[in-house]
Amino acid sequence: MFTHIWKKEIQGELYTWKSMLWLVIASLLFSFTSYLLLTNKELSLLDQTELLWLLGKIIVGVALLILTIDASSIINVEFERETAESLFLSPVSLRDFILGKLLASITLWAAVFLVSIPYIIVTSAGSHLAWAFIGYIALLGMLGVVGFVFLIFGISLLYRSSKNTITTSLIILLAFATPALFTSALKNDVVSQVFSKINPIDNIFNSLDNVLVDYKISVIENWQFLLPLVIFCAITFLFLFLSAKRFTQQGIIRND
Amino acid sequence: MDGLNLHIKKSEFFGFLGPNGAGKTTTIRMITGILTPDHGTIRIDGHPLEDKQKIASVIGVIPESRGFYEWMTAVEYLGFFADLYGIAGKEKEERINLLLAEVDLIKRKNSRIGTYSRGMRQRLGLARALINNPQILFLDEPTLGLDPQGQEDIQLLLKKLNAKGVTVFLSSHLLNEVSNLCSRIGIINNGTLVAEGTIHELQEKTKLKDKTLTDIFLHLTHKSS
Repeated sequence: MFTHIWKKEIQGELYTWKSMLWLVIASLLFSFTSYLLLTNKELSLLDQTELLWLLGKIIVGVALLILTIDASSIINVEFERETAESLFLSPVSLRDFILGKLLASITLWAAVFLVSIPYIIVTSAGSHLAWAFIGYIALLGMLGVVGFVFLIFGISLLYRSSKNTITTSLIILLAFATPALFTSALKNDVVSQVFSKINPIDNIFNSLDNVLVDYKISVIENWQFLLPLVIFCAITFLFLFLSAKRFTQQGIIRND
Repeated sequence: MDGLNLHIKKSEFFGFLGPNGAGKTTTIRMITGILTPDHGTIRIDGHPLEDKQKIASVIGVIPESRGFYEWMTAVEYLGFFADLYGIAGKEKEERINLLLAEVDLIKRKNSRIGTYSRGMRQRLGLARALINNPQILFLDEPTLGLDPQGQEDIQLLLKKLNAKGVTVFLSSHLLNEVSNLCSRIGIINNGTLVAEGTIHELQEKTKLKDKTLTDIFLHLTHKSS
């Protein structure tokens, strides 16, 4: 059942000028970054692995931003355009509905990831890290995207409003992303270090650093970053589950 | 809603009347499982509402919210719902074409819904409600916004369906429509069922013999307000 919802989303929401524009913008950003990394004199003084790490951070950052915006409206648009009632009168369950929408979000992430591959290959030329880079971007990006999409879907079901969901989701994304901008002194602070251990975005960036800069490629060598990401996904899934339960109790359409 | 007790018989054409805000849409949403009642039980064709798959397979609904996927064509739209009901292959194609012909949309079947008039959307909504060949139809103002010809076409189609044994639960503001189509009528006001029966029974109950449904409706809804 959820595959029909997924197909509808691909056809109607993702395969549109809006999503295509997002992919073009992502591609332009990756082009611009790769060009700067490879041609700028000051940046070219950096070790190649540092350049790859910078590109990796940009790919994950852009993907999370696009996914946050898209996932914030993908559920509530059905209520705001009054299509939800007809949908839920058919044999579709809330679980099918959420699964279909989740698959659509993952498809968008997959499209952003595919767009990034040529840039990863070009930037990694001459190093042996291209495949590890691609593999870790896929794994870390997927964990980050799934965790954030669970969280955003949970917020969507609570608010039932795209506008409120997008505002809240962007604030949360910003709160998680801000420590990446901290200076070394701030990052060494105890509070900052504790937050870094649980912050999914920090864990993604630190794992990329571990793989690309410190050459620790195996999953076992990255468990300290992957485990918090898996825990983040589990917590956000629990939040989505509770939010869906509350949503069901209130009724598909709220009787205001 | 307050102590609403309704029993609709098989193959009946039941009219549900009430002033604005009386609780007609809320009742339909509760019966069809979209809203959860605080207490009480609802059974459709013997199945409790919790049996969503079974209920969804026997009912067809034109709900109050009339949203459509504007970017789809009528064929794609009905195809999407046919998929949800597990209707596939040749049966799906035949069913879609038959329904589009019934609601007079066959010539525009490949146009985007975004280009449809209100009346065309109403008719497409009815086609969607019929995609699973339902035994019971719940219609919330199905002729709202239609011109007289459009209203008559829909009414004829509903009569035909009822003659084939489909149970129809019709909520409408058009008292003429209800008195022409329905074999039994329920009148609701402020969430309470104030009267139920055939027009003749309602005339007797209200002691308004030879009066129209409009007179009975006004009498009952004013009295109970």
